[in-house]
Amino acid sequence: MAEEIIAPMIGKIIKVHVNVGDSVEEDDPVVTMEAMKTEMPLVAPISGKVTEIRVKPGQQVEADDVVAVVE
Amino acid sequence: MSEEMLEKIQAIEAQRARIIAGGGAKAVERQHAAGKMTARERIEYLFDPGTFTEFDVFARHLGRDYGLDKAEVPADGVVTGYGKIDGRETFVYSEDFTVIAGTFGEMHGRKICKAVDLALKMGKPVIGMNDSGGARVTEEMGALSTYGQLFFRHVRSSGAIPQISLIMGPVAGGQAYSPALMDFIFMVEKSSYMFIAGPPLVKAVVYEEIDEANLGGPPIHAKISGVSDLTVRNDRACLDTTRTLLSYLPSNCNEKPPYSETGDSPDRMAEDLVSIIPTDPKKLYDMHKVITRIVDNGVFFEIKPEFARNVLVGFARINGHVVGIVANNPIFMAGALDVKASQKAARFIRFCNAFNIPLVNLHDVPAFLIGSKSEREGIIRHGSKMLYAYAEATVPKISVVLRKSYAGGYLAMCSKDLGADFLFALPTGEICLMGPEGAVNILFRKEIAASADPEGTRVEKLKEFEDKFVNPTYSAGLQHVDDIIDPRRMRPTLARALDITMNKFDKLPPKKHGNMPI
Repeated sequence: MAEEIIAPMIGKIIKVHVNVGDSVEEDDPVVTMEAMKTEMPLVAPISGKVTEIRVKPGQQVEADDVVAVVE
Repeated sequence: MSEEMLEKIQAIEAQRARIIAGGGAKAVERQHAAGKMTARERIEYLFDPGTFTEFDVFARHLGRDYGLDKAEVPADGVVTGYGKIDGRETFVYSEDFTVIAGTFGEMHGRKICKAVDLALKMGKPVIGMNDSGGARVTEEMGALSTYGQLFFRHVRSSGAIPQISLIMGPVAGGQAYSPALMDFIFMVEKSSYMFIAGPPLVKAVVYEEIDEANLGGPPIHAKISGVSDLTVRNDRACLDTTRTLLSYLPSNCNEKPPYSETGDSPDRMAEDLVSIIPTDPKKLYDMHKVITRIVDNGVFFEIKPEFARNVLVGFARINGHVVGIVANNPIFMAGALDVKASQKAARFIRFCNAFNIPLVNLHDVPAFLIGSKSEREGIIRHGSKMLYAYAEATVPKISVVLRKSYAGGYLAMCSKDLGADFLFALPTGEICLMGPEGAVNILFRKEIAASADPEGTRVEKLKEFEDKFVNPTYSAGLQHVDDIIDPRRMRPTLARALDITMNKFDKLPPKKHGNMPI
C-alpha cells in the first residue's frame, strides 16, 4: 500500500527530515513546510518505507501537491 | 356505552392498526436487514415514553393513475406528529421506507408541510427523518408542487424554530433541498446518501459512472461538500445525537437556550493551558485541547468536525450557559481562514444569533488564506461572510486572542470593531495589521537590500517592530483589548463576561433584511 503525503496549502518546504529508503513510523514528520507564518510538519500517514521525496528545502508547493510517498 | 359505538371504535382501531403496520412484516424485515430502524421505531426511540401523538394517520394518498388509485399506501409513507424529548415538545416527520420506499407523493408532502406549519405556529423545533426513494413519479406535479410548498415552509420557519434533518436512508432528487434549507443535517454511516440525481441519471446525462456512496455518501458530504454537519454510526447514535443537539437549543427564537446546572465551577482554573499554547507563533497546537479545558466538564459538541478543520464551531456550556464556540485551529492550514472555513463559521454564527446563543471566539489566525488559488475561489466574497455575520450578530460576543490574530483574520474572528462586547488577550496575543515579517520586509526593503549584512538588518528591524507593535500591551493601550489575562484564567474570565452580557440589548436598524454576501 502506498500513501501520498500531500501539502494541505500553498507554502514553502523548509526541511526534509528523511531520505528515500528510510523507515518511518506513522505520524513521524517527513517534511516541514512553512505557510501562513507557521511551520507545519507533514507526517507519515502510515508506518513504512519512504519511496519518493518530490521536494527540496526552499521549494514552493501548491495545495494538494504530493511531497512524498510512503509505502 | 352502546354496542354500536363499540363496534365503530373497533373498526377504526383495526384500520389504524393496519396502517401502523406500514409496509408489512416482510418490508420491516428488509429494513432491519439493512441495519435500519423503521419510521415508527425511530420515533419511539427518540421521544419520551408515551408522549408521541400522531396526526394524519388516516391520510390517504392521492395517486389516481397507473392503477395506484386501488393501492393501499399506509399513512402515505410518512409518520407525523409531536411529542416530548427530554420533556420538551418537538414536532417530527419520519418517512417510512417500508411503504413504497417512502416516496414523496402529494399527501405525503402535505403531511410534512402540516408538521412544519404547526411547529412554527407553536414555536417548537421540527425534526425530519428522511428515508425515501425520492419523488413519487406517478403523482407528477402533485409531488413537485408539494416539494415547493415544503421548501417555502422551511424558509419561512428559518431562524424562528430549529429545523433538524436526519438522513437515515436515501434522499434523492429535489427532496435533497429540503434538508439543505434546514439548520442541521446528520447522516447515518453506510445507510444514507444524498444527491440531486442518482447514478443512473448521472450516467445517462453527463456520462459519469459512479456509485451511490461516492456520489453522495456521508464521507462525501461531511468532508468535501460540507452539506452534512455530522456523520453518525447508526440510527440509534443519530437519534441520541439529536437529543444532545436539542439540549443546546431554545425551542424558538424568542426563548433563551436552556440553562443547565453542570457542577463545573466557573472559577475553575485550567493549569495546563500554560503548556498547551506554544509561545512561538510558528508552532502548532490543537485548539480542541483549549476548548475542552475551558468549557463545562470538557464537553464540546462539534458541528462539521470533518469539514474545513482549520476552523472549529460547536456548542458547549460555560457555567451552565449555552455558548457557540468559533475557534481557529492552528494545526490545520495554520488556522488560516479559507473559503470553506469562512462559510462554515459564518453559517454557525448566524444560527447562534438567530437563537440567542452567545458567541465565544478564540483567535489564533494568521489571516485569510492568500494566494492565487484563494483569490480565484473568491476569498473576498466568501471571507466577507464572517465579517457580515459577526457585525450583524446582536448576541453577546466575547473574544479571546490566544496568539496571533493578524489582519483581516482579527476582524473576521470578531474584534471590538465588529461588535465584540469583550476582547481579552493572553500574554502571547499578537494583534496587528499584518504579520511582522511581511511588514518589515515591506517597510525596510531598501535598507535591508543596501545593508552589508541584509539578514542582520532584517532581524534587527523585526525585533524593533515586534517590540513596538506586536504585543498585547500595544493593543490594550489603545483599548482594542479589554484585559490581558493569564491563560489559566480563561474560563473564569469568560464566565464573568457571560454573566454581564446575559441581558445585553442590541438591535439592528429596521429594514427588510440585509444583503449578506452569499
